[in-house]
Amino acid sequence: MEYDVQKLFEEPGLIQITTWARGVIQNKDARDVVFALANAASKEGKYVQAWENYVDLPDRVNVPVRAYARISPNPIESKYIYENENPDVVVLTEEGLVKGNNVLKGLKPGGVLIVNTKRDPEYILKFLSDTSNLGILGCVDATGVTGYIKTLSGAEGATDASGIGAGVGAVLAGAAAKAKEMVKLENLLGTVKNQDACRYGYENVKLMKVNEVGEVVSIGKIKQNKYDLEGLPFAGTVPSPKKENEGMVTGNWRTERPILTKELCNDCLICWLDCPDATIFKTEDGLIDFDLKYCKGCGICAAVCPTEAVTMVPELDFVD
Amino acid sequence: MGKKRLITGVVATAEAVRLADVDVISSFPIRPYTGIMSELARMIADGELDAEFVHAEGEHAQLSVVYGASAAGARTFTGSSGVGVTYAMEVYSPISGERLPVQMAIADRTLDPPGDFGSEHTDAEVCRDQGWIQGWAATPQEALDLTLLYYRIGEDPRVLLPQYACQDGYFVSHIAGEVDVPDEAQVKEFLPPYKNKHQLNIYEPQIIGAQIEPDMGPPLQYQRALAMRNAKEVIKEAYDDYNRIFGRNYSPFVEEYMTEDADVVIFLQGAHSQTAIDVARRLRNHGEKVGVVRLRTFRPFPTEEVRDALSKFKVIGVVDNSANFGIAGGGGVLLTEARTALYGEGDKVKTVGFVAGLGGEAITRDEFYRMFAKLKDIAKTGKVEQNAYWVPFEL
Repeated sequence: MEYDVQKLFEEPGLIQITTWARGVIQNKDARDVVFALANAASKEGKYVQAWENYVDLPDRVNVPVRAYARISPNPIESKYIYENENPDVVVLTEEGLVKGNNVLKGLKPGGVLIVNTKRDPEYILKFLSDTSNLGILGCVDATGVTGYIKTLSGAEGATDASGIGAGVGAVLAGAAAKAKEMVKLENLLGTVKNQDACRYGYENVKLMKVNEVGEVVSIGKIKQNKYDLEGLPFAGTVPSPKKENEGMVTGNWRTERPILTKELCNDCLICWLDCPDATIFKTEDGLIDFDLKYCKGCGICAAVCPTEAVTMVPELDFVD
Repeated sequence: MGKKRLITGVVATAEAVRLADVDVISSFPIRPYTGIMSELARMIADGELDAEFVHAEGEHAQLSVVYGASAAGARTFTGSSGVGVTYAMEVYSPISGERLPVQMAIADRTLDPPGDFGSEHTDAEVCRDQGWIQGWAATPQEALDLTLLYYRIGEDPRVLLPQYACQDGYFVSHIAGEVDVPDEAQVKEFLPPYKNKHQLNIYEPQIIGAQIEPDMGPPLQYQRALAMRNAKEVIKEAYDDYNRIFGRNYSPFVEEYMTEDADVVIFLQGAHSQTAIDVARRLRNHGEKVGVVRLRTFRPFPTEEVRDALSKFKVIGVVDNSANFGIAGGGGVLLTEARTALYGEGDKVKTVGFVAGLGGEAITRDEFYRMFAKLKDIAKTGKVEQNAYWVPFEL
């Protein structure tokens, strides 16, 4: 038997919100976006959930991490579906996340993307691959209004004693509420600590209509067994990578890219010694270069360079 | 050919470890299994066995030592009793999950409190879901044989699972009996060298026990479940070869004693089966249609064989030598598992549980007599009035 899964499992009125952020330094703001929106919706009598993705690495600085909310007029039936499979709203706490992350994966037709950036929506659009379902792209300079809140309070499902929505998360929640009708601004303001920041996001987000998407329903089938048992490693044992670990490509952790000013480099190789990921190598013409597939953009090379030959440049300045 | 000796279960086990030419042994003392390690230490000191003997700082470390050694390609042996067995609990699942055929002897000891040396199967049975092959020896001879059999079964490439070779503390471990100690040529014919599938090797580095994504979890568990399933065929083959080479007459999963035309039987495992058989024989002499069915392999639980064996009788008394507080049916693990095996037989076969021999008390002949009497009573009335009886308090 084949069913139309969208119909079999559909939950009318359910809104899924997914926030992407950088591990450790922006976890809190990612959490704040989803908790602020869920709390505001709860005030309106909606059914809500909010949580952090459990398999993203929560303890690695800069690694892409996700937080989720679900808001519904009805009891949430999909409450233990592991992740938001078809988000209505995607929020990025940092612009570089558009690179190397499929942030629009599964986006519902007509869905919204909100990005924390100084740049215009037209520029951000260049980095998005499949935008066929994207209805609205919103950009807001949240970092220009307030900062990231760096705290471990509220991590790992514990109580957040620092309060919700004191920083960037408040701006982005406001922007999301403007772009997608889901909660009233007054209720959102009633849940966040920094109400000015939240109102700023609501009022100043630059919205761009990307696609006119009607109520398109994609047809899915019941998922079949995804495992190829023959191809699986025995007892979970994995051969150590000889050179590169394709299972741990870390280039998408980068928010800034190291750039070498050749004239200043004296070839001391201190950066090579200090790079924690062994991503610095020498090219055939004897110059140092960076393996951008694995460089996490930590900036240690720039910090230790005695001649200031390495500078860190925002990743999104590069269109590659 | 073998040599007859009067030895205890602990010495018989050590003899088998010597014959299996084990490479790495890790020890930590606790009664009653300690004697195995004393004997192995003596063998090494006297030059009878060439093996690394690591005295660990506790059972958790003990199991960790053989975990690593087995991954490095060594045939390994360890053991414990009672709370020593449970102290190492964390390490059992990683060992079977990495599919390392470590062998551990468990000479049963009651879990605390109090500090009771007596035997009870609880210590080993709480480990039953850890992915280890498991079964009980009822005599010193069987203790020796089980050790060799389990290396062969566990190291088979179709299985690659660790094994708990269990023996009742004191009853098997400390009472010397006549044992045929095989010679090395026989063992060589039976037991091929150990070859790990993913041996640690500095030239071909690999990660074992790596952190994985959740979607790798189900197939890993499934691989282990398949290994346990495959083990049944391998167990049969191993017992066939063992019987042939060593001149034994073991049935791999269940043994039946005097069950022909029997109406009621007692079903149990371990040393107390010997007393049950004795009582059944005496009752038979007076024309009672009683028998005993003994479980030889506990993991993998031989569901079909147990069903085929037990479904012939009117009433089965399942004796659990373990404390399983709050368990379904109020008896023990064997009762729930026997009943599961008999699922589908309906009311035709009646089962009742007896929890007996706790704290290391012997299950006396009087007690087995009372159990058989209860079974005959049920056969007559057709009524099971109580799911399980705690002996002697309730029977």
